[in-house]
Amino acid sequence: MERVILLIDMDAFFASVEQQSNPSLRGKPIAVVGAGKRTVVTTSSYEARARGVKTGMNLYEAKQVCPELTVVVGNNHKYTYTCTKLRELYLQYTPDVEIYSVDEAFLDVTTTEHLFGGPLQIGKMIKREIKRRFGINATVGIGPNKLIAKLAADLSKPDGLRWIKKQDVPHVLENLPVEELWGVGKRMAEHLGRLGIRTCGELARTPVGVLRSRFGIVGEHLKRMAQGLDDSPVVADGEETEDVKSIGHSMTLPEDVHRMPEIRAYLLLLCDRVSFRARQYGYKGRTVTLIIRYRSFETFSVRKKLDTPTDDSHRLFRAVCELLDGLRLREPVRLLGVSMGSLQRQSGQLALFPEQDRRRRLLETMDRINLRHGLRSIVWAATLEPKRQPGVISPAWRPEGVHRSL
Amino acid sequence: MKVIISRNELVEKLSGIQSIVDKKSTMPILSHFLLNVGESSLITATDLETAITEPIEISSIDEPGVLCLPARRLYEIVREVDGEVSLVSEDSEWVRIKAGKSSFRIACMNPEDFPKWPEIKDKKAFTLSTEKLREMIDRTLYSAGESDTRYTLNSLLFHIKPQDGILNVVGTDGHRLSLIKTPVQTGFEEEMKLIVPRKSASELRKFLASHEGDVSIDVTQKHVIFNIGEIRFLVRLIEGSYPAYEQVIPLDNQKKLNINREEFLKALKRVSIISREKSYAVKIDVTDSVLTITASHPDVGEASDEVAIEYQGDEISLGFNARYLMDALNYMETERVVFELQEPLTPTLLRETERDDYLSVIMPMRI
Repeated sequence: MERVILLIDMDAFFASVEQQSNPSLRGKPIAVVGAGKRTVVTTSSYEARARGVKTGMNLYEAKQVCPELTVVVGNNHKYTYTCTKLRELYLQYTPDVEIYSVDEAFLDVTTTEHLFGGPLQIGKMIKREIKRRFGINATVGIGPNKLIAKLAADLSKPDGLRWIKKQDVPHVLENLPVEELWGVGKRMAEHLGRLGIRTCGELARTPVGVLRSRFGIVGEHLKRMAQGLDDSPVVADGEETEDVKSIGHSMTLPEDVHRMPEIRAYLLLLCDRVSFRARQYGYKGRTVTLIIRYRSFETFSVRKKLDTPTDDSHRLFRAVCELLDGLRLREPVRLLGVSMGSLQRQSGQLALFPEQDRRRRLLETMDRINLRHGLRSIVWAATLEPKRQPGVISPAWRPEGVHRSL
Repeated sequence: MKVIISRNELVEKLSGIQSIVDKKSTMPILSHFLLNVGESSLITATDLETAITEPIEISSIDEPGVLCLPARRLYEIVREVDGEVSLVSEDSEWVRIKAGKSSFRIACMNPEDFPKWPEIKDKKAFTLSTEKLREMIDRTLYSAGESDTRYTLNSLLFHIKPQDGILNVVGTDGHRLSLIKTPVQTGFEEEMKLIVPRKSASELRKFLASHEGDVSIDVTQKHVIFNIGEIRFLVRLIEGSYPAYEQVIPLDNQKKLNINREEFLKALKRVSIISREKSYAVKIDVTDSVLTITASHPDVGEASDEVAIEYQGDEISLGFNARYLMDALNYMETERVVFELQEPLTPTLLRETERDDYLSVIMPMRI
């Protein structure tokens, strides 16, 4: 059966939520920034975008192009709350809802669309409901797979609704620049440009051998993408916990940091969160990955394998510190991430020696306190080092915190 | 050096040291061994944790000397040749090897750089029969940790208690523990806890295989040396503290059941097929005269089995990693064993019926 996939993408999500919760901001150019000293625009309202404000600008630049700009400090709780409520709405149309990020969700309506009068009708109803309940505009892209649904949304936002049917895919892609494809970055587009490939049509016609020899296995994937082919499934939340591949957390820091003690303190915070979640899900991990993004947005990761799997914050932290010690940081760090892979289910095996148990009991007690009184009610003193709490959550945030891949 | 050694003697001696010689070491010298030809001729190999030195029979000595030879390469060569092997050193860095019509020139290392055999001071000694030492290693090594962060667990503990005239050998990975004891005459004044690395213990076990008679054991602050005939096997002890193992051995578990060892083992093997992917988790229900083992896995299915037991008392249910029970039962010898339980989450004890020198403590699993 031909699949029907919807992508629902909130327009200027953080800004829209802020405007909704504070009526005096509606209709005005606003920019959302992270907490603390972060002065980079995370997102801005369409009114601000019309005046030239762009994501990634610092406040000085933004005020230059739009002097009447109102700056709002982001509030993560509002966004995650809205995201959770949106999910409930989506679930009325299909059980197969994948919250891809805080402001994007994929819906597989292949088997349910006929109940609601077709995919376009579902798109309309969802847009109307979101506008009515949350006052936010959303764009709905519809396609035979996730790739095309995403493309349909990207091509029709803001406040758009577009269905790219299977038979129209080649036509839509023919003259589309390759960087419009989901997953093709600027760098990749440059590489392709050097091969004389600028549009998806050209990419689709390039012999797979050429792409494979230049990009390896990614080359094959690129060609399939340019042909509009994508068979990745919509993975409903909850299903993913069955076959979790990794547990990770990342944060954009309140300000770029260079000092090791501060970086370590943030890493301990991240390790604590990752291992907390591992314990909640009953997993232990063996591979540890440290992700670093420099001020220049250059991002890389390093990883190592532990001798035995762990869910202990400090063992994870020690491994992450070893990874960090093996690096020479060239620039101040903008974002840090910690992730744990090669997960295994915890067995429930009890420890023979009380000192092993003491450690486990300590962690369990901390977890219980944090679950009852709110996260970070009880913390490791060392995580108090970065005085300010991290800023706006990463767009990759999901309600269920487990990722299937990194 | 200018010597002739029989091919078979070289093959035998070199094969013995292959697993001690460190192939992956960052120190190239550790992938070499020392050949010392003189009035008594010896070969020596070490990985810095373990060292072995043993006599080698030289067919004819034209010129004595010392060479530091690549262990793996020489072994590969002598395995492929026949008859007598002649070794003639050009200097301390090159040696010519001839056997029949084959001829090799091999790079060596400077013997001066080879780690020195430690000076043994203030040694104390005791003796065990080879057979006993073999048994003690076999019946404890399986439960020692393999790559635990608490490094002292990746070892065997030799606990000498002179007041009681007892030697305990203990292995534990933090979830299960096995202990075997034997009377010893030591003449030591104080208790000693020797923590022997797992790898050394398993190497030692290999050298014990082909030996009869007694092993005399020299103990110093930092080392223990097992003298197996003419072989001297030296182990650098792990520094650190071994967990207080005696405190976790349950002495007064009230629920004691008597069970046929083979039947118990077979039933565990069958049932755990279902829970292999789930850490071998099995549930054990004990009622009057019947022990029931069950396992279930959401994707695989369920299994259950029953074994007759001699037991009168309260019913109890508890979870186990079946692997731990099977390991312990495998290393027990008597027809029937006693399984001592208390609470679902407290340590359990498995022991043989007619002997009291061997026991296994197994921590249950939360199910």
